[in-house]
Amino acid sequence: MIASAAKRDLIIATDVGGTCTDTVVFVPGAPVVLGKRLSTPPDYAHGVLDSIGSAADALGLTLAELFARTRLFIHGSTVVDNTVFERVGARTGLVTTEGFEDTLLVTRGAYGRWAGLSEDKLKHPVHTERAPALVAADCIAGVPERVDYKGEIILPLDEVATERALRHLVETREVEAVAVSFLWSFNAPEHERQVKRILTRIAPDIYCTLSSDIAPVPGEYERTSTTVINAYAGRVVRDYLTDLEHLLANSGYDGPLMVMQGYGGLLPSGSAADRAIGMLECGPAAGVIGSRALGELLGQPNVIATDMGGTTFKVAVIQDGAIEYAIEPMVDRFHYTQPKIEVVSIGAGGGSVVSIEADTKAPLVGPKSAGSRPGPVCYGLGGEEPTLTDVFMLVGYMDPGVFLGGAMTLDPDAAHRAFAARIAEPMGLSVEQAAIGVYRVAAAQITDLVHEITVERGLDPRDFVLHVFGGSCGMLAGAFAAELGIRRFVLPYTASVNCAFGLISADVAHEYIATQLLPVPADPAAVEAIFAPMAVEARAQLASEGFDDDHIVFERSIDLRYGRQVHELRTPVPFSGPFDAAGLASVADGFEALYERRFGQGSAYREAGMEMTRFRLTGRGVLERGTPVPAALEGEDASAARSGTRRAYSVAAGAMIDMPLYDFERLRPGNAVAGPAIVHTPITTLVLQQGQTGRVDALRNIIVDVD
Amino acid sequence: MQAIDPITFSIVRHRLFRIVEEAVITLKQVSGSAITNEGHDLMVSLYRADGSLLMGGVGFLHHLTSASEACKSIIRRFEGDIHPGDLFLLNDPYTAALHTSDIYLIAPIHFEGELVAWSACFIHVFDIGAMTPGGFIPDARDVFNEGFSSPGLKLIDRGRLRQDIWDTILNMVRGPEMVALDLRSMIACNNVAGDRTLALVGKYGVEAFDGVCSALIEQSETKLRRRIAALPDGRWQARQYFDVEGETIQIMATLTKEGDALTFDFTGSSPQSIHPVNCTRWATWGGLFAPLFPLLCHDITWNEGVIRPVTMIAPPGSVVNCERPAPVSVATVAAIQSVNNVAGTLLSKMLVSSPDARGEASAGWHGNHFVIFTFGVNQRGAYSIGVLTESFAGAGGARTFADGIDFGGELPNPISRMANVETTEAELPVRYLYRRRRVDSAGPGFYRGGAGGEFAIVPHDAPTGGIDYVVVGKGTGFPQSDGLAGGMQGGTNAYLHHHRVSGDLASDGTPLPWGTHMLRAGEALYVRWNGGGGFGDPYLRAPELVAADVASGLVSLEAARTCYGVVFGPDETPDLDATMALRADRLSGPTAGGHGSGIALSADGAHCSHCATRIAPAGAPWKSQARLWTRPVASLSGAAASVDARVEMRQFGCPACGTLLDAEIALPGDAYLDDIVKPSGAARAAA
Repeated sequence: MIASAAKRDLIIATDVGGTCTDTVVFVPGAPVVLGKRLSTPPDYAHGVLDSIGSAADALGLTLAELFARTRLFIHGSTVVDNTVFERVGARTGLVTTEGFEDTLLVTRGAYGRWAGLSEDKLKHPVHTERAPALVAADCIAGVPERVDYKGEIILPLDEVATERALRHLVETREVEAVAVSFLWSFNAPEHERQVKRILTRIAPDIYCTLSSDIAPVPGEYERTSTTVINAYAGRVVRDYLTDLEHLLANSGYDGPLMVMQGYGGLLPSGSAADRAIGMLECGPAAGVIGSRALGELLGQPNVIATDMGGTTFKVAVIQDGAIEYAIEPMVDRFHYTQPKIEVVSIGAGGGSVVSIEADTKAPLVGPKSAGSRPGPVCYGLGGEEPTLTDVFMLVGYMDPGVFLGGAMTLDPDAAHRAFAARIAEPMGLSVEQAAIGVYRVAAAQITDLVHEITVERGLDPRDFVLHVFGGSCGMLAGAFAAELGIRRFVLPYTASVNCAFGLISADVAHEYIATQLLPVPADPAAVEAIFAPMAVEARAQLASEGFDDDHIVFERSIDLRYGRQVHELRTPVPFSGPFDAAGLASVADGFEALYERRFGQGSAYREAGMEMTRFRLTGRGVLERGTPVPAALEGEDASAARSGTRRAYSVAAGAMIDMPLYDFERLRPGNAVAGPAIVHTPITTLVLQQGQTGRVDALRNIIVDVD
Repeated sequence: MQAIDPITFSIVRHRLFRIVEEAVITLKQVSGSAITNEGHDLMVSLYRADGSLLMGGVGFLHHLTSASEACKSIIRRFEGDIHPGDLFLLNDPYTAALHTSDIYLIAPIHFEGELVAWSACFIHVFDIGAMTPGGFIPDARDVFNEGFSSPGLKLIDRGRLRQDIWDTILNMVRGPEMVALDLRSMIACNNVAGDRTLALVGKYGVEAFDGVCSALIEQSETKLRRRIAALPDGRWQARQYFDVEGETIQIMATLTKEGDALTFDFTGSSPQSIHPVNCTRWATWGGLFAPLFPLLCHDITWNEGVIRPVTMIAPPGSVVNCERPAPVSVATVAAIQSVNNVAGTLLSKMLVSSPDARGEASAGWHGNHFVIFTFGVNQRGAYSIGVLTESFAGAGGARTFADGIDFGGELPNPISRMANVETTEAELPVRYLYRRRRVDSAGPGFYRGGAGGEFAIVPHDAPTGGIDYVVVGKGTGFPQSDGLAGGMQGGTNAYLHHHRVSGDLASDGTPLPWGTHMLRAGEALYVRWNGGGGFGDPYLRAPELVAADVASGLVSLEAARTCYGVVFGPDETPDLDATMALRADRLSGPTAGGHGSGIALSADGAHCSHCATRIAPAGAPWKSQARLWTRPVASLSGAAASVDARVEMRQFGCPACGTLLDAEIALPGDAYLDDIVKPSGAARAAA
């Protein structure tokens, strides 16, 4: 309990997800406090206050009392993702170079038709479609202008034609937002800025995004698509953040509002409002930041973060504390180019439907999902097709009496009946045997996926600690961790609110990028001259947000590639001082090491030389937050938390055995549980297989060691 | 299914998919070249110990069967001398390859000394040391002009690279360091496939692995045979033409479907050409499977089981089964593509005969994949060989339920893409004047084909004042993306050289013969490429849809009137009365709607699918009973036009209601394409 007369010392982080809105409150000198409520679309701000209220309840405070003590509010939201998925953005026009009006519509040919599709759809081209663009074909206007690859103006912008085109878009087509994307504009932004000046003069209320501002990088299709998405969602985000600020102010909070970005950093709400696209996938990004923070806390710089909920399995990799960035990110079916933390996702979750292939009797998991409605058969909400969750129930891993902390009871008989009729009988197996078989298939498929983003990228899973998030992951982790040779996995205490935990672990970060082609070796002065203005701009920006020099950190990186090769890699600059020849050489060495690791041995192609293509600077404003307070460790004996025994599947035995059950709420820091065993927490279940021992640490994480 | 338990089957199958996918990723990543990464001009597959196809990856699909033959050929040639750690190279078109520049690297996979499988992959290498850089040799007169070719050599012997062979190969090519990287990527790809397969065999044992492989093949065969058996027995015909330097090549094909088997008969195709457009037997075999995999087998594992129900007849000495030493280097964009096109059309004609299967049918996609390779000194002073990637952005054919996809790709290579203009301009000393969809390129129909495109380039910052390029251009006389069910074919291609940049680049200019050309300062190259074929009678397309295409610049007012029968008023909106009147000139029934018409062939006979009038009894030719309109393709609007006055479009219509039932491209005097569905046993008995 906290005394209410106090200084402002709390940090609140709230993450709006598709289903739940999660809150973490950081209290100096005390354990973090968690809050969770259902999201409230379309008025998400409502759910934000509900969720914070539930955390306030846990602290014994009113919402107003909580806010009165809060010095920082951090927010992540799916608002941009929703705007795109639900097609509820602004009516958007596009101004582009005459002769290239179709660039957005034809998506580099088939690329936009197949990108993002699963293998079974790739093999079925007659039944694939390109998603209709966010800009209607009649809202695209080409205007005479041309810049070449060096940034030289070949044809000056025709201002008269531009004004005519803009008037047509605004007055006849009634667009509410305008995206401007010219060829090579990142090398010569003047023409795009001219368009914006004309638009501001004739229609000052129209939201406008320039490609040279939002994505100053080569590749006109991806740059244009990025610009369009930002224009399309821009006003929605601006209104959303303004409304949220008002709501918070009316509830007694008038401190800063920080907004999570897909690259894992925070932006003050004012800056975030101009970069709607930055918020895409910021929840999963925050989850990775949370995993990294937890890894740091536990002394584990190499982490495989896995999250399995109702519909998807997500996985991300952190190596030596470094995060991987997505190479060709997409939202829905649309490409964009922005720094974004890579999170690989497949459609496999608790709701994945289990079926039987007619001729081979082989069990299939997914791709169809029962979602949360009607959901698994055992939910009793009308689902008739067995799902992976039903399989977890049938192999004994779920507690039929208590689900989601008792919020729901399950119907194991219904699951049994449906599984018998649809799966076990056609396979000619008992329900138990068939359920074990399907479980093994699911574990093997997850193994294949984790293999894909580790071993296939030259990483050895044995060097990594696995973090287990989401409602379903803990029931599979013991099985697939063993197969991958993973030696340790962790069920974090904050697993149920990991994205919110990530928000609270993040720093303010502004990303700057400059595009220029320089051969290696280059003149260090030329490189310095590219970074210097970005550093000045970043420092001024962070200073305006209240960061002093002691709290400003610059991270620099350079994208390099081999000559005549298409793969570019963002390579960190491993020093902070000015560039010299030795410093540049160390960057090139770093690139070569990264390249071989990412693309495999023998892929390096030194003979053709190296080129630097993009220069990136992240200006980080470090937020003070302190560290969580560890509890005292008690003895290993966990018998006080024993809650019974249930028949459940043991991988080692290859059969159902009597498995001891433990109640997480009664486990004390320091307790150890040896597998085979099942630990039920209020929100999930952790299954320890033979040879796996889980220990509760001082922060109430369960650390599992594999023999 | 044999003794394999379904759980093991399911797990091993998933892992085999993953192995092929991982090997594809390895190939792209190590290669790093534009044609591999953007064009996806590659293939990786796993083969069984006897060389039969086990698991084909999504790549250029004509290679799946050819690489299988390559494995079998290595097995025969190196019998007794195949060891763990070996790696073989094969690129001889008369042994198995499609052309010399698509090199196969093939590796045996041994588990504890026992041969359990093979992996094979290909990419189009940077150069093959032929007369012209890049591997397409328009002027070749025999296979000896087309670079080095090997019917099989051992590049790695028990884990040790044969340096003498390696050095010899690299000594024969331009850009040896690029070719070295291409070969290294294929070695890495085979290594990954081998390692992963061994881990799988190690976990489940040879017996279980073999059992799953047999079951997978059996499963594919059973599924495909069942699918074929459900279709009506019949015979369908398709024909493609293309011109090379004044020679007209014809690919004639007849598909016979009987029971659960298919026979493709290429009798009637032209004799082999002196130009390098020819298919070897294996190229034709691969070419017919490329559309068969996605059209008939999207939900069936692509393996030997798919191949078993299919037979091919290809007359020796013809353009679809040429005899050594006929040149073949351009085949992948010439006769092989014509084989792709006829096979796709035949399969779609067969599918559309079945009400249950017609949703899988499609009019022709990107019938004319063209090639333009550039070479010379780029703006950074480096010698470069580059490929313009627009041809990887062909147009989709119309479906039976929707329009084709503009710039939608092609069936034999379902996941290609084209490079950004900015990528090309950064690497080559050229500047684009425009790149966009092309008016009237899409085949008109009740559902229209996807639109093709056009671009124009000029030299820019070229140190030598310009750039050289190889054009393998065809399809300027004969449209090549077939229509279906009365839908019209997609437009023709054009390759025009301009000595001055002025006027309409699309209509003036000098048509380029194929070969090597120079683009100099002040000159421009214009290229137009075909749209997809249409489905069904364009007169039945709703006028507002035609108006929308006119508004977005995809259909000209002239084509709206002549092809779609839609008349526009002075305000550029459709004049519905005039449209009804124009359409009524041909149509006597309803002038819009339905399913788009087309001939309905069934065991009950040939009917008009619009008005259900019976046109011919089952098993009898129907075209002689139909109304026929013949017009020169050259008279068609816009891009559909041809440069060859001989080429005619024949439109066959219902004698009762006038809707179009079929359209074919032909030279005068060539026989009608003859499609029949056989009468059922009961109908035969009644007769």
